[in-house]
Amino acid sequence: MNIIYVLIPLALLLLGGAVWAFFWAVGNGQFDDLDTPAVRVILDDDKKPPEKPGS
Amino acid sequence: MSARACFHCALPVDSRDRFQVEIDGELKSVCCPGCKAVAELIRDTGMSDYYTIRDAPQPGTGRPADDATEWRVFDSDDMLCAFADTSGDGAEATIYVGGMYCAACSWLIETTLAKTAGIQTAEVSPVTHRLRVSWYPEITGLGGILASLANLGYKPQPLAPESSARPEVAEQRTALKRLLVASLGMMQVMMFAVGLYAGDFQGMDAETQRFLRIVSLIVTTPVVFYSARPFFAGAWRGIVSRMPGMDLPVAIAIAAAFLGSTYTTIISGPAVWFDSVVMFVFFLTLGRFLEMRARHRSIDRSTALSTLLPNTVTRIDGDRQTTVAASQLLVDDLVLVKPGESMPADGILVEGTTMVDEALLTGEAEPCPKSAGDDVVAGSINLDGSIRIRVEKTGSDTTLGTITRMSERARYARPAFVQLSDRIASYIVIAILFIAAAVATYWYINAPDRAFIITLSVLVVTCPCALALATPAAFAAAGSRLSELHLLVTNGNAIEVMSKATRVLFDKTGTLTRGAPVIVSTRVFDDAFDATQCRNIAAALETVSTHPVANAFTVSGNEVIANEQRIEPGEGVAGTIAGYRWRLGRHAYVTGGVSNAAEGDGYTSVYLGTDGRAVARFDIHDEIRTDAASTLSTLRSMGLSLALVSGDNKQAVQQVAGELQVSDFHFGCTPEDKLGIIRSAQKAGETVVMVGDGINDAPVLAGADVSIAPVHGALLAQTSADVILVGDALQPLQLGILLSRQTMRVVRQNLSWAIVYNAIALPMAALGFVPPWAAAIGMSASSLIVVLNSLRLSRFGAP
Repeated sequence: MNIIYVLIPLALLLLGGAVWAFFWAVGNGQFDDLDTPAVRVILDDDKKPPEKPGS
Repeated sequence: MSARACFHCALPVDSRDRFQVEIDGELKSVCCPGCKAVAELIRDTGMSDYYTIRDAPQPGTGRPADDATEWRVFDSDDMLCAFADTSGDGAEATIYVGGMYCAACSWLIETTLAKTAGIQTAEVSPVTHRLRVSWYPEITGLGGILASLANLGYKPQPLAPESSARPEVAEQRTALKRLLVASLGMMQVMMFAVGLYAGDFQGMDAETQRFLRIVSLIVTTPVVFYSARPFFAGAWRGIVSRMPGMDLPVAIAIAAAFLGSTYTTIISGPAVWFDSVVMFVFFLTLGRFLEMRARHRSIDRSTALSTLLPNTVTRIDGDRQTTVAASQLLVDDLVLVKPGESMPADGILVEGTTMVDEALLTGEAEPCPKSAGDDVVAGSINLDGSIRIRVEKTGSDTTLGTITRMSERARYARPAFVQLSDRIASYIVIAILFIAAAVATYWYINAPDRAFIITLSVLVVTCPCALALATPAAFAAAGSRLSELHLLVTNGNAIEVMSKATRVLFDKTGTLTRGAPVIVSTRVFDDAFDATQCRNIAAALETVSTHPVANAFTVSGNEVIANEQRIEPGEGVAGTIAGYRWRLGRHAYVTGGVSNAAEGDGYTSVYLGTDGRAVARFDIHDEIRTDAASTLSTLRSMGLSLALVSGDNKQAVQQVAGELQVSDFHFGCTPEDKLGIIRSAQKAGETVVMVGDGINDAPVLAGADVSIAPVHGALLAQTSADVILVGDALQPLQLGILLSRQTMRVVRQNLSWAIVYNAIALPMAALGFVPPWAAAIGMSASSLIVVLNSLRLSRFGAP
């Protein structure tokens, strides 16, 4: 069971790293828009316009 | 909703299908050439997915502006300096995008701009409705960007660089960080807690147990000191203001459980409650986060100020005139204000004389004359003369800024109903503290080893969060849904009163009718004048009037000029032309005597006269709004009694009332008459909703229990109405009243749930049947149920 004395502190370090990374991302404005990214993936950006009749 | 709604903006389409757009192989009807142009633009740029993914639009959304604003002004270098930051590679600017309403809008804007040549990046924040765009000014101008936004049907407004930092963004960022720390901390501590519980059952050596407890303590510490800080701050504010809110027992419970657990960790005592602490903090933080998002969505506060002030102003530097952003004005700048423009700042008039419309600020419909030395206030409209003003106060220091702040505060101020439940909650908090103390004393005497844990459970389980959230959560959800339905609530009590409404009074002109009247016939009684002359005289008189009927008289290139104009609210206008005093208005007002004139068939008749005799009669017709009949019949089926009150003549009112099947109608009403009708209904015990633009009857709106004003009305109405109806459709009214009734139902459900929950949970916890972790789950679950029940309102009326 002594391995937990290494693994748990290691997990805490990773946790600290994750929190730091998240804080950095929030500070960079990556989470300012929580609505649009959810729908963006299902939209086609390059849908072809229909042929215009008579032009 | 009508089956015949415009594909683009959801306004009703007329039966002739004059405008159609082919989208994805199907022919869709739209209501006007503007919508046709926008829909075709969206289709031709390959963005027609927008229509499949957006939320159902409210009628009138996304219509292009009626008046084509000249965006090319913004291409100049002056404008670039004013609105953009050019320090980097290209230029960067922040633009407020009016008319956005869902995530698909921001996608549409971002993708369209990304395809425009010269644009590097474009990011839209749906929270603040702001577009942050960077581009190469050599390739495209700021004006081009604004024009493409306007072409998509939005109302762009460039913002000065300083104002781009929004408090909402900072608040959301902090809240996200707190939520993340709480959720990660909770997951970790729960994991250690599983180990500790397993150890309780199958045995664990003391050293491992101690290690796991210390690790839990380490992870819990930032959760308590960072994520839970708002609760401690709130509790402290409650103590200082002697109004303990629900934050106080929360803070006591968190602090007690945390300190108690820390103490047992140090002395290796029997149990720790770190898992309860983090779970409690996480659920509370999550609840606060959801509440904050609902609040941010509800109303964009910046619109009021920004739409009243001009974007750009003409500044006079010596003998040069430069166009600068209004936000760049400094105190002591000299500004040229042309007729029809609004004042960009508070200041002193230094040159010229003019009439100024200050209705917005003073509630006085009549324009007041200003000459050199007089004060002018920002937002008031310069009516006729070209003037120069010296700036004294700018931006939020101006009178308008102060008023906006006050109305913002009113919007954020909690309605009486919520205040009452807050006060009740604070009594409950005090009661809980006493009960907890009594429970602690009892158990300390009878079973000292269980006293702490039971007291903790009592404190956690009885937290009156559900009770305190019951009303505000429902009101916040209803408020944000109402604004999506194009009803902006400016008075917090309006929702409650609207739910009790029994009688709805409608004004006619501009409310049930379009407010865009046309003259259908002119009859001249005096051979000395011809029809054109009469129209020109009338047009000159009406230049000062904001009454919707005045629109009918507008004549381009009118050479007749009236002076000393006076508006008699509800009667007409008077003015001096070439030495003669003319009057335009009702027959009785024009002739100065009793009215015995024949009225035009179903038309509003306006008389023009001088010297107490009528010279001409104009018959004016104003088309009824397309959805008026359906809205009124729905309102009637909801059990509301409807009435029509109007200052118009009998025939005109009778015709509208007949078409809309309103049997109770009053014609020829002065504002006093209308107020009397409201008062007598109120005396009979009815709750009266007045729907009207309030142009010459502001006191009528104030006299009703709830007033609703269509936004096309005069600005005066916006300041006095409880609810503002945005857009051209009347249909939001019925949904608004249904929603307000549903809101009160939800509030009652929430309150009964909270009371039942506490009535069951408190005795159980006091008897020692509830461990702290179960108490935390029970309390959080009861609050979440209240929040989720309230959130049902935010989808109200959606298909």
